[in-house]
Amino acid sequence: MKHIEQTDKGNGKEKYRGLKNCFEPKKNHRKEELKKELDLDDHKLSIKELEKKYGTNIITGLSSAQAAELLARNGPNALTPPKETPEIIKFFKQMVGGFSILLWIGAILCWIAYGIQYSMNTSSSLDNVYLGCVLALVIILTGIFAYYQEAKSTNIMATFNKMIPQQALVIRDSEKKTIPAEQLVVGDIVEIRGGDQIPADIRLLSVQGCKVDNSSLTGESEPQPRSSEFTHDSPLETKNIGFYSTTCLEGTATGMVINTGDRTIIGQIASLASGVGNEKTPIAIEIQHFVHIVAGVAVSIGILFFITAVSLKYQVLDSIIFLIGIIVANVPEGLLATVTVTLSLTAKRMAKKNCLVKNLEAVETLGSTSIICSDKTGTLTQNRMTVAHLWFDNQIFIADTSEDNSNQVFDQSSGTWASLSKIITLCNRAEFRPGQESVPIMKRVVAGDASETALLKFSEVILGDVMEIRKRNHKVAEIPFNSTNKFQLSIHKTDDPNDKRFLMVMKGAPERILEKCSTIMVNGQEQPLDKNTAEAFHTAYMELGGQGERVLGFCHLYLPADEFPETYTFDVDTMNFPTSNLCFVGLLSMIDPPRSTVPDAVTKCRSAGIKVIMVTGDHPITAKAIAKSVGIISANSETVEDIAKRLHIAVEQVNKRDAKAAVVTGMELKDMSPEQLDELLTNYPEIVFARTSPQQKLIIVEGCQMQNAVVAVTGDGVNDSPALKKADIGIAMGITGSDAAKNAADMILLDDNFASIVTGVEEGRLIFDNLKKTIAYTLTKNIAELCPFLIYITVGLPLPIGTITILFIDLGTDIIPSIALAYEKAESDIMNRKPRHKKKDRLVNEQLAMYSYLHIGLMQAVGAFVVYFTVYAQEGFKPSALINIRVEWENSNVNDLEDSYGQQWTWYQRKYLEWMGYTAFFVGIMVQQIADLIIRKTRRNSIFQQGLFRNKVIWVGIASQIIIALILSYGLGSVTALSFTMLRPQYWFVAVPFAILIWVYDEVRKLFIRLYPGSWWDKNMYY
Amino acid sequence: MAALQEKKSCSQRMEEFQHYCWNPDTGQMLGRTLSRWVWISLYYAAFYVVMTGVFALCIYTLMCTLDPYTPDYQDQLKSPGVTLRPDVYGEKGLDISYNVSDNRTWVGLVHTLHDFLAGYSPASQEDSINCTSEKYFFQESFQAPNHTKFSCKFMADMLQNCSGLTDPNFGFAEGKPCFIIKMNRIVNFLPSNSTAPGVDCTFLDQHKDARPLQVEYYPPNGTFSLHYFPYYGKKAQPHYHNPLVAAKLLNVPRNTEVLIVCKILADHVTFDNPHDPFEGKVEFKLNIQQ
Repeated sequence: MKHIEQTDKGNGKEKYRGLKNCFEPKKNHRKEELKKELDLDDHKLSIKELEKKYGTNIITGLSSAQAAELLARNGPNALTPPKETPEIIKFFKQMVGGFSILLWIGAILCWIAYGIQYSMNTSSSLDNVYLGCVLALVIILTGIFAYYQEAKSTNIMATFNKMIPQQALVIRDSEKKTIPAEQLVVGDIVEIRGGDQIPADIRLLSVQGCKVDNSSLTGESEPQPRSSEFTHDSPLETKNIGFYSTTCLEGTATGMVINTGDRTIIGQIASLASGVGNEKTPIAIEIQHFVHIVAGVAVSIGILFFITAVSLKYQVLDSIIFLIGIIVANVPEGLLATVTVTLSLTAKRMAKKNCLVKNLEAVETLGSTSIICSDKTGTLTQNRMTVAHLWFDNQIFIADTSEDNSNQVFDQSSGTWASLSKIITLCNRAEFRPGQESVPIMKRVVAGDASETALLKFSEVILGDVMEIRKRNHKVAEIPFNSTNKFQLSIHKTDDPNDKRFLMVMKGAPERILEKCSTIMVNGQEQPLDKNTAEAFHTAYMELGGQGERVLGFCHLYLPADEFPETYTFDVDTMNFPTSNLCFVGLLSMIDPPRSTVPDAVTKCRSAGIKVIMVTGDHPITAKAIAKSVGIISANSETVEDIAKRLHIAVEQVNKRDAKAAVVTGMELKDMSPEQLDELLTNYPEIVFARTSPQQKLIIVEGCQMQNAVVAVTGDGVNDSPALKKADIGIAMGITGSDAAKNAADMILLDDNFASIVTGVEEGRLIFDNLKKTIAYTLTKNIAELCPFLIYITVGLPLPIGTITILFIDLGTDIIPSIALAYEKAESDIMNRKPRHKKKDRLVNEQLAMYSYLHIGLMQAVGAFVVYFTVYAQEGFKPSALINIRVEWENSNVNDLEDSYGQQWTWYQRKYLEWMGYTAFFVGIMVQQIADLIIRKTRRNSIFQQGLFRNKVIWVGIASQIIIALILSYGLGSVTALSFTMLRPQYWFVAVPFAILIWVYDEVRKLFIRLYPGSWWDKNMYY
Repeated sequence: MAALQEKKSCSQRMEEFQHYCWNPDTGQMLGRTLSRWVWISLYYAAFYVVMTGVFALCIYTLMCTLDPYTPDYQDQLKSPGVTLRPDVYGEKGLDISYNVSDNRTWVGLVHTLHDFLAGYSPASQEDSINCTSEKYFFQESFQAPNHTKFSCKFMADMLQNCSGLTDPNFGFAEGKPCFIIKMNRIVNFLPSNSTAPGVDCTFLDQHKDARPLQVEYYPPNGTFSLHYFPYYGKKAQPHYHNPLVAAKLLNVPRNTEVLIVCKILADHVTFDNPHDPFEGKVEFKLNIQQ
């Protein structure tokens, strides 16, 4: 016992080294460990060695005591959920992120100001308290909004947990017991039946016809046979291991538990997936950058004017109030919510185009994607075998492989085709499931393997009712395909009543079929098979095989009627019929063909500057063929191997710079250093990775990210989830994808179609442009909101616009218009430019800020001031009278302040006029924001090129601005707390000339940008 | 992504910043070369000169459209405000308290009144005319010198006992203080239809059994004579002085704080605006100690 325990410990240490490292603080180290191929050697051990290693007995199982001890030591057989940040902390994080912290400062300053006021005068007004509360409310509401959005993004561990099997049949103390799978320990002997989920990683000891579905782990969709023999070095490939959470489809098996809980393969992948940090999305980085800019401006102007105010002998209290005003004016309170809404609108639009976006920010990430690592099967291809080529009469014919296969145009007049089609039809065991007459042929469900299905559908399309033909040619004997024969054979009565001969038809591996033939059919005539025709056959076979297609040979023989009369009984076991000297008819090759939309989509990616890399577990030749046919490897580019072949030199002698394309297998990748991988990724524009393992996908993604690329990865299996998580944008397949993959992904492709990614990219780029417009629109009015405070402090005018009024602009009139910009169509073909550079092409750049703040913003401020001065002047205070009036104006003890006409005003009368001024200034900004909205529709093109009325939502936005302003002025004008008043109708039009001026100025700007691209103007004015 | 995850060290940041401030390779300062800076500054200078011009033009046009004599609108000035002298403000509104026996407590108040009435001395009003009519003094044309309109004189002595001439202490010394009530000017405002607007001062929280406030008004009846109205504005009547009414409170209880309100009684003067305590009335606290 002691001895056993010791070995166990030793082994444990060795085996779980990688796992122990998990708990080390160095994250990188941990990743390295996990990225290594899983080191598991139990599949190599004999049963005796296993028994020794785990201290168990395959007949009696563990004793209950042993099991309890092991359970206590190793913990239950369940995946530990990752440590979650408590919801409340997530919530508070939203409350202090972004602009919130600035607004909190504003709110706290409000309360401090009230505190100072209160200490000086207990009956001071509560205005500052209200303002502080309003600010706090704004923060909390936007925080709740953001929290709600984040809460929607789902937790990756959820489905891993769902996959845990509930019960397990285990042998303990020589008895069969059913226990909860959670209590399984290493060394337990478990029995598995068809339909069960495998309760832990088990080494199979005895197997009866057991097949498992490993698709959730390895991505292989076909049932995998299991046996108790060690067949492969890799634990993932060997047949004597059953993996935790996979399903046993049929048969029974007995196995020994070798790993439980988090130490299982799936557990390691799960911890890998949640261990891979969620990188910040590019748009999150951009928004952070933008927040920094705005906060920087706000804080520096705020502090500058605080100091100015104090040095101008203003009281500290007043200076604090100025500071609040400046902060509130500078912070675009509604913007982050607008961005979220804009992103989710785009997400909805993408969902319509079959891209379901889980993580909102991923919408834009897709647009900045510069590398797409795509799966082959199902994404680029149709995921079904289809006949691609035929070879007969010494000629290769091309079959239609498009999705509906309707258009088979090859020459069908030859007699050889008649014979070939007969073999295809008859030598086939696949059948349509009944009751599908109304379904298009290509969509019908077939009972049979992939190649037979392909042949069946192919012949059904060309010949019509295959089942009827088979009935007419009654089958008398059959040898199904098996791996030793490598052929399939059947013998039929013919449908020709005059011909009493039996027809023997055969298909199989071409070289095997050819061996059995002595003649070949050319143009319907049998000819002896000579060297030339054999060579022609080989050339065709190599050509088709070289295209990665699965090639089948077909031959037939009419059995002589005298030797085989109608009553002859065929015996397939003794083979009482000839299987040589047959007549070779033709070859037929099949492939999982690319989706018809993919080549176009790949071309689009090319022109959009996106590199498409194929990563597949498939054979390199097939991968290369598909890559060529969809354009991932373009027609005129060659790999090193191609060049070597063309020049007849060794691969080593080829100058690697000559090759544009590269096909790299998983084995080669394994031996590469990170530097070599880096070199590979930089030097070759067209790369195909074949025979890669799931772990290698992660390495490839990281390699791409090392080059500052924004990487999109597609995947469907559980095994893909780390790569999906690691990628800047993980794209899971909606139809074939496993739940774990869908969970790890940021986006789900509902139709599994690569072309949908490209439409997604287009949307993503559009949203980036439109967000730029939204931000430019929103930032502009900040100057118009800020200037009043600066003028108020320096010139001493009555305050032109109140803090609450500013909030009504930021969160009222401006919200819908800024969202409306999300509906703007692209200005030009956005798929013809390079993806944006992560670090250089910022969302908010210097030009945008300068143009918004210092050009349009300033014009708005001037316009709004004109409205303000007009109102004051017409009510009696000419501009000259307003200068330095501030102190008296605001003194509530002065109730006979004289205006320019000698009239005397009480404090409240002035206050009311001040509110009227707020409203006028507000209306002035609002009117000019309409012009701002219209000019922001385009950045380069004229508004007239873009069409003023194409985006109807913009007009909804404009209407909303006007209606909200009308309601505030005329509806809520009597509510004093809001400080809005009624405004004479003509004041609504004072700012209109400025609005027109803004429009004209921007049109001129755009005109010069278009006229002189690359000029000084273009560089400084294009944002 | 590794590049983004790297935290830059402080020295790296400083170096980057220095490189930004002065890039010796391209000769760029703060991201632009010198000539680029000159160009952009010139552009901004020109842009702002133009914008200033546009603004100036707008204001100039605005001033041209304004009537020099009458404001276009008087939305807020429907009813005149009323002010009180002496005006000492406490935490909430006017709050006047003094001790009869301690003249230091009221000498300031008296001084305020003297200062205020200095504007009503004969010397300061020599450009105004004497009016006797008890009717509105409408003037269609500018007949006064310098293309102005005449203003009626209001002399301090019209306030008789509260003029500070007969009693330089305005009654503060004997606990019967004078308060001067002034109605704000509003261009073209006519306070009532025919009768002169009068002042009425009462206790604000008058108990039924308490004695009503006894007030002596100057000029007699406590009215503002109609010939002071309408007011034609500063430009037309540069010498206009608001008419005043003085109220001498005779029976203010000692050592208690009383609330007194003085209302203007006239057809077009309202004093019930809940927001504006100074519209058509003036309220004040008074505490006379002995």
